[in-house]
Amino acid sequence: MSKRALRRKARSWGRRQLYSLFSSIGTLVSHKLATLMTLLVLGIAMALPLGLFVVVENLRSIDLQQSEWGSVTVFFDASVDSESAAETAHAIEQRNAEVRLVSPEEGMAEFSASSGFSSAADLFDENPLPWVAILTPGAENEQPLEAWVSEWQAWLEQREGVDLVQVDHKWLQRLAGLLALGRGLMTVLTVLFSLAVVVVVANTIRLDVASRSEEIEVMSMVGANNGFIRQPFLYSGFWYGMLGALLALVLMLAAIFYLQSPLEQLLEAYGSQYLLKGLGVQRSLLVLLSGGFLGLCGAFLSVQRHLRLLAQGHGIGL
Amino acid sequence: MITFENVTKRYPGGLKALQEVSFELVAGEMAFLTGHSGAGKSTLMRLILMLDNATRGQVLVNGKNLTKMSRSAAPGVRQGIGMIFQDHKLLRDKTIFDNVALPLMIAGIRYNDIRKRVRAALDKVGLLHRERAWPLALSGGEQQRVGIARAIVGMPPILLADEPTGNLDPELSRDLLNLFRQLNAQGVTVLIASHDLALIREMGQRVLVLSKGQLIDDIPAGITGSGQRPRVG
Repeated sequence: MSKRALRRKARSWGRRQLYSLFSSIGTLVSHKLATLMTLLVLGIAMALPLGLFVVVENLRSIDLQQSEWGSVTVFFDASVDSESAAETAHAIEQRNAEVRLVSPEEGMAEFSASSGFSSAADLFDENPLPWVAILTPGAENEQPLEAWVSEWQAWLEQREGVDLVQVDHKWLQRLAGLLALGRGLMTVLTVLFSLAVVVVVANTIRLDVASRSEEIEVMSMVGANNGFIRQPFLYSGFWYGMLGALLALVLMLAAIFYLQSPLEQLLEAYGSQYLLKGLGVQRSLLVLLSGGFLGLCGAFLSVQRHLRLLAQGHGIGL
Repeated sequence: MITFENVTKRYPGGLKALQEVSFELVAGEMAFLTGHSGAGKSTLMRLILMLDNATRGQVLVNGKNLTKMSRSAAPGVRQGIGMIFQDHKLLRDKTIFDNVALPLMIAGIRYNDIRKRVRAALDKVGLLHRERAWPLALSGGEQQRVGIARAIVGMPPILLADEPTGNLDPELSRDLLNLFRQLNAQGVTVLIASHDLALIREMGQRVLVLSKGQLIDDIPAGITGSGQRPRVG
């Protein structure tokens, strides 16, 4: 085949694609209600794993802001005075951790305030509280919290004058466990709901093929080949998937907007200044494309089979 | 242009729709295909369109031997044939313009050219002023003419019509057949299946007569017009 003939063929092919594209859009627009219902189903199906993803991602980034919470508390012996406490604090600072010293008086004041026994101090002849140091990872700490905590625990326990090292990160372990579970759950949901999207689109395309059997027959009679007949359905599948994903993103944004203030209140109670994050542009685009791809898969699986069935019924040679 | 050589078509279940049918329609010829319903007219048309394959014998269309071609070649064969149906087979959710444009879109022709050719075809059947209308807004005769416009828009060398006058009154039928005659005069090979004997006689064209799957008569052009009745078995 000559170069020119090839070019002409390529151009014809391009135009056919374009006609199919417009035809698919036309069909979606002309069946507004049916399209909307399908999109709603797809949108909800995709919003569930997406929502979980956003929740897990947000919790993970809180996890990264662990400096406030990943603390190690050191209780000194009662014999330790302010000088040796300050000495230890200095040693700690030199090892790149942030440390806050709490004197017995401050400790008593905090206790009185938080327990409600405003005159707790009066009950004791002498302040029973020791000096306390609270360690938090420095801003430049890159170590995982677990490792950081156990390292400090070991170091502190060997130090003279230390009575007790209290490590309060059990709940962080629990959070990490929950996050792992959440991510696992997200994977399961993503697989299941992706499958659901494929099936929903496949079924929708099946109905489309059935309702347009007359048109398919006519197209076949006037010389359309299998590809040309199939093309608009494939485009439709892609649109269903992509618009479904778009709806899912919108639903998710609405949910984030709705949940923002209670969530921020909750996080504030944990002492975190934190803004709820959405997906971001790049991930949103990825979601749209994935949705389109899933729809395309569903359409592909469905259209071939049902066109063949239709062809057998009508004796049209597809 | 269309050649049948000893063609037999047997459907599953043993029904013989065509038996040893042989005839040739040369380029530029116009002929009627007649016979009672069930005589095999539709089967013959289906074989030409590659909607079915002959059980035995050869079918040649436009220089191609259909019996030796794979099913995937069917679209190419059909693009060379303009088909007109009794029930028009227009797409109801597309405008007249889009209906007529369909074969050209399938061929992947430039939209500007499509517009020109669709309007030329609609002009030829006298319906240019209805290009933006929907099929259901048109009368039966108009719909049939749209069907013809769609069949001729791709300028195929062959026109096949299956009972094109089936639902039309005699006057409209005569107009329609005159339109076929005009197209034939421009060099298109035309084969029309019809059982409207009165009209066929009036046209004075070649007539192929089918009965129970067999070709029982082949009346040359110019005879029926002079009063002889085509025999129908």
